[in-house]
Amino acid sequence: MSDEVKSAETGEPAEVESPSLYDRWLAVREREVTVAVLTFLGVFLAPFALVALPEMLGIPTQYVWYRSLVVLALIWGIFAIGYDLLLGFTGLLSFGHAMFWGVAAYAAGIFSANVTGSPIAMILVGTTTAVLLAWVIGWISLRRGGIYFAILTLAFGQMIYYIFLSPLGWLTGGENGFNEVAVDPLLGFLPLGAEVAVVPDILVQTWMYVFVGIAAVLAVVVANRVLNSPYGIVLRAIRENEQRAEFVGLNVWRYKLMAFIISGAFAGVAGSLYVIQRSFVPIENTLNWTVSGEIVIMTVLGGVGSLFGPILGAGLYMYVANIVSGMPAIGHFWHMILGLVFVFVVVLLPNGIWGGVDWLRERVGDALGGDER
Amino acid sequence: MNIVGELIVLLVNGLQTGAIYVLLAIGLSIILGTLKFVNFAHGALFVIGAYAGLLITQEISISNGRLAEWGYPTIGLEWGFFAALVIVPLFVFVVGLAMERFVARPFYDRPDTDQILVTFGLAIVVQEVIHALIGPRTYGYEVPTSAFGLLPMTGPIPVPLSDVTINVWRLWVIAITAALVIAVYAIVEYTDFGLVVKAGTRDPEMVRLLGIKITRPYLVMFGIGAALAGIAGVVGGPLQNINPEIGMTILVPAFLTVVIGGVGSIKGAVLGGTLIGMVQVTLISLGSVGVGGFTVNFSPWSQVGIYVLAVIVLLTRPQGLLGSEEVSA
Repeated sequence: MSDEVKSAETGEPAEVESPSLYDRWLAVREREVTVAVLTFLGVFLAPFALVALPEMLGIPTQYVWYRSLVVLALIWGIFAIGYDLLLGFTGLLSFGHAMFWGVAAYAAGIFSANVTGSPIAMILVGTTTAVLLAWVIGWISLRRGGIYFAILTLAFGQMIYYIFLSPLGWLTGGENGFNEVAVDPLLGFLPLGAEVAVVPDILVQTWMYVFVGIAAVLAVVVANRVLNSPYGIVLRAIRENEQRAEFVGLNVWRYKLMAFIISGAFAGVAGSLYVIQRSFVPIENTLNWTVSGEIVIMTVLGGVGSLFGPILGAGLYMYVANIVSGMPAIGHFWHMILGLVFVFVVVLLPNGIWGGVDWLRERVGDALGGDER
Repeated sequence: MNIVGELIVLLVNGLQTGAIYVLLAIGLSIILGTLKFVNFAHGALFVIGAYAGLLITQEISISNGRLAEWGYPTIGLEWGFFAALVIVPLFVFVVGLAMERFVARPFYDRPDTDQILVTFGLAIVVQEVIHALIGPRTYGYEVPTSAFGLLPMTGPIPVPLSDVTINVWRLWVIAITAALVIAVYAIVEYTDFGLVVKAGTRDPEMVRLLGIKITRPYLVMFGIGAALAGIAGVVGGPLQNINPEIGMTILVPAFLTVVIGGVGSIKGAVLGGTLIGMVQVTLISLGSVGVGGFTVNFSPWSQVGIYVLAVIVLLTRPQGLLGSEEVSA
């Protein structure tokens, strides 16, 4: 229970009125623990809500959210959170984020084939590689802002793609992808494909889900921490008005570079997880520029500048890409539909779908506790 | 082995590769320089041009196309191709006008990230519409063997002073590009219309204060840029295979051409395109070279080379080789 609520309870007679449920909620809502618990609940209940429940309700199973898709959605969600730190909170539009995701995937995959396949070690290696790359690329690209930054990152993404495709083909497997990935059991004794014994399998099916779920909760908590720290506030200031931030005496370039590196680290974690999940590094799904485009679409659709919007966007994208695409009449046009929705969101809903959710939440809040905010 | 012949082949191939980039980059560069609008859908205009040209030349002009299937007389590849060279730019010009009016204009006052996002979304939609209408299949593109029996248009011709040959279509691409570039340059440099556009680049407010309606010149300029991308699709099509995805693949080198040459500069676009084309072709034709005991194979690096070139230029001359400081800010 928060201090504010306590003081209200034991306070002066002038404010004896006991706090409404809504006030209590407001007091705890912004806390880190609340965010963590909510995220944990969301991750924990997602397989039930998306797989078991539709099955119980008798929705035809070929359209139901397949189990592994929930895992994939979480992985892309981590990627999208990191991307949003850059686009939504710092205002930098990168069109080359596939390179961090992809290079981390290759690093983790090649490391697993040659050194050790421990999933945690793979994540560490993948993320470190992505961070180092983000450092170099950011150091060069951030010399120019706005459109030049977008074009430069796009160009670097293509450059890395072509380097991995051909000159490094002997190492990366070229256009066939790297298929010698060898993932060991988690901590040496928990095979990722095995079912978790104690938890019912409608909630958590495999250790893979536990592993990715923990990573997703951690990613949200870390992002929340970064955003609510003084550092995050500076990033928002830069997004709002870069010149003014500069005049206040902030080293804008350094903050932007750090935001770029942090975002690259998230992409690195997600890319490594992707390889652990698939046991294969396909070049078209890792380094191709279309992946950069996908992450842009996910983030913008879900809603830039919010913590949970990008995860929502990633889930939605995965759903459309894998399940709507299999539907008979409209399946063929899923990409076109997504493109149209994307244009619609850019034109009319600057805060994405999460912006709509926020609006609804405010309405409900007003109805419950008035307009205190 | 004849070094003169090899160099001529290299030059022709490089200029031709660059010519396509130049045609795309001029439109991108002018639109970026004057309208401050980032058009990620410029590659989509290239694809629209390529497919429209393909439809006109192949499907409705040669004997096994749609027109023949439906029982109508066909006009032959030769006429069809020249018809495409005229009709396609006009068509894409109109597409460009529509794009300026309905996509670009509402976004002039919004942040450039929004411009990039909306045009990127549009590019996906165009790509997928083509996908749905025509299919993902890759098409080859035919060019008539001669222009009305007078001049050869395709096929190998021997290079003087050597035993090598080049495809004559490459010379046509270079010639068509050169003619178009000179025409656009003349329009921008020597007409009142060009004067207004150039003034608009420097100071749009001032131009408005002088009582000149700048909306129409902007509209036309956007259309010209689009038409050039359309022609690039028609002349570039025969040299590669056509599929809905090429629009996005060609967009990156086109943007790099603008970045290397300098935004808003036609000369810069020509220089940038030529440089990129030459680098790419040189690396391919170098092949494997022995350097002090090691053998280095350069051809896989041909795609990487153009990005390295762009990075070097940007780090040493951020405004581009022929760009001015203020325009590219």
